Amino acid sequence: MYVKGVGMTKYGILREATPLLAYQASLQALKDADMTMSDIDAIVCSSIEWFFSDERQRHFSSVLSSVFNTKVPIIRTPTACSSGGAAFWTAEQMGFDNVLVVGSDKLMACKTERLTEEFMMAAESKYEQNEGLNFPAQNALVAQEYMQKYPQTNMDHLAMIAHKNHQNAKVNPHARFFGKEVTLETIKSSPVVASPLRLFDCSISADGAAACVLTKDKTDIKVAASDLCSDFMGTFERTDNTSWDATTTIAKNVYAKAGITAKDVDIAELHDAFTIVELIAYEDLGFAKPGQAYKLIEDGYFTRDGKLPVNLSGGLKAKGHPVAATGLGQIYELVQQLRNQAGDRQANNPKIGLAQNIGGAGANISGTILKKVST
Amino acid sequence: MVRIIRWVGEKSGKKWIYPVEEDIYTHEKTKKVVSKKAKVVGFTKVNIPSPLHPIIPYNVLILEDVHGHKMPKKVMKDYAMGDTYEDAISDKENAFAIVKLKYDYEEAVDEALELIGGITITPNQKILIKPNLSVPGNAYLGTCTNDKTLDALLIYLLKQGAKPANITIAEQSFFLPFEKAIAKTGILEVVKKHKVKLVNIADTKFEEKKEREFTFKISKIAQDHDIVINVPVIKTDMILGMDGAFENLTRFLHKESYEQLAKDPLKAVMALAILPKLLPPFITLGDASIGMQGNGPAQHGEPGFFNMIFAARNPVVHDRVASEVLCLSKLPYAELAGKVGVGEFELDNIEVLGNELEAVRRDILKPTGSRLFKKS
Repeated sequence: MYVKGVGMTKYGILREATPLLAYQASLQALKDADMTMSDIDAIVCSSIEWFFSDERQRHFSSVLSSVFNTKVPIIRTPTACSSGGAAFWTAEQMGFDNVLVVGSDKLMACKTERLTEEFMMAAESKYEQNEGLNFPAQNALVAQEYMQKYPQTNMDHLAMIAHKNHQNAKVNPHARFFGKEVTLETIKSSPVVASPLRLFDCSISADGAAACVLTKDKTDIKVAASDLCSDFMGTFERTDNTSWDATTTIAKNVYAKAGITAKDVDIAELHDAFTIVELIAYEDLGFAKPGQAYKLIEDGYFTRDGKLPVNLSGGLKAKGHPVAATGLGQIYELVQQLRNQAGDRQANNPKIGLAQNIGGAGANISGTILKKVST
Repeated sequence: MVRIIRWVGEKSGKKWIYPVEEDIYTHEKTKKVVSKKAKVVGFTKVNIPSPLHPIIPYNVLILEDVHGHKMPKKVMKDYAMGDTYEDAISDKENAFAIVKLKYDYEEAVDEALELIGGITITPNQKILIKPNLSVPGNAYLGTCTNDKTLDALLIYLLKQGAKPANITIAEQSFFLPFEKAIAKTGILEVVKKHKVKLVNIADTKFEEKKEREFTFKISKIAQDHDIVINVPVIKTDMILGMDGAFENLTRFLHKESYEQLAKDPLKAVMALAILPKLLPPFITLGDASIGMQGNGPAQHGEPGFFNMIFAARNPVVHDRVASEVLCLSKLPYAELAGKVGVGEFELDNIEVLGNELEAVRRDILKPTGSRLFKKS
């Protein structure tokens, strides 16, 4: 299939309700595609349906039926933080001519403690939630395991990832950290939230929505490949957390399907929920050899001017993480970049972009390759 | 004695953290592998609180057994990589065990009892189990002792050498016919499965006993058994503060005695405090798997999925620490019981086993009362 149009709201602390954020992003995507809702055959939506907010709203798919005033099939893909990527993948499998894919979440209307718990509900109930293994803690243990196995990598490398993403977000008007300078020193001196991870190793939560229109008609952006893989819920169930099987499988599958290798990827939007997760993705996606990502980080390989710019949007780290919208926000960024419409954060004429979206701690991962093609 | 548990498909090589009895790949029985020894292979100090884990900083360890099976464990104490993780065992009166229930009730009950030194049983000993089955309701409502906990306790007792014919489960209801009270609790299935006896305490012989200013009519059933195990479900109580080890004993009383006490809450507190003195020594297995929070203990409370099993040899110790775990206020009856020598009330003098108190504390909904009760 092809991407015909994309849209997204700003990521931040927003006042509009979740379905109305979805409406805004979808309206943009339809306008971008030069289409109206009447052209849409089906909708795949993603939303966590947060229970703590004032909305107290389940059954998002039916809400969208009302909001969009349509009776086409609507299905929701709940795979935690990868819901957006899963929605995109699902839309591709459905066989409809024109599908609207939209993700929307609103999670900032609560205290951090409550939000921590709500996120933790995507961890295993009895073994992880009851033992206080929230997501910063899970990923802190992943970082510890990685740095034990590969001692050349240290916290400075993770800080450099955070800094890179903040530099990109600074020039992305959609980003929560837009216009804000975050120095390496700020990152390195931020408080430890779960040792060894610091506050600035963690992504920033946000409200927001993103949408795209997938079509069978040829456009300038081809979905060269998309895939979805799963792994065990608990990181403790796996033998090795220095590499995530679901990402390595995704990489193998999407490269084969797109007929490319890792070296052909020009830009990537990776799921940097935590800096260590981005680092591991470099290796699992074949951008770096196992244990060697630190060298490329030091060389600036993944910066805006580097060989393979990663998270030009600012990533989850600094653009923001509106959970079920995140995967579609990645698609939005890739499309803008491939169309050379990304403004101050534009990469140097990229042709192939990769998106990786993760649900849980490596438990449900989607991968997408978009190619710029001539029309 | 930490327990790392996996269900293993021997032919498929698949492993589950969930209690699956049949391998979905081979349709053969899985094998349960349990390890009680573990080393620390990872740790993180967490500085961000959440409603379930409000006290920071705390540590989460990754423990690994000889099979390479791992599990996370929350602790307050600091550990280093490679440390052996071990829980202390104590059969003292002031010991209190806290076990977090994963999915396996059998292991949780076994672990809780093991932590307080276990129960030694000779084949001809008569065993009495006193659950809370006084109000009809599925265990999911938190109104009665979980049938899965009772099932696990019976499995434990039989493993220790008890004979089914020597085990009696006894309870009564002051509000409903016994058969009606127990109908939805699942107890009948448990009794049938293990071929043990179920007795309505109201049908047993009672005797008058005096203690301080009180005269009680109390069932002789406890006296007639060698080992007594009190298995209350942990519930909030608008009058007592908490229903635990003590409240569960009230149904050893004759209905007349109970109604006398119920008339005067102040007297009831004192009577409750001395009630254990009228009974032989007993162990308390606190069922906090699915307890009750809010305006308990009756139908106005709501289930509290505490996922814990408690064990203690002394009821004061049991109720004192259980109320601390759930952040309930100090219990007047337990404090009084401590003063009259029933057991240790001071937290500092109680040895908490299995999990540190600070690591399991959780702030449940308190019994506050509600004006809605009058109309509903």
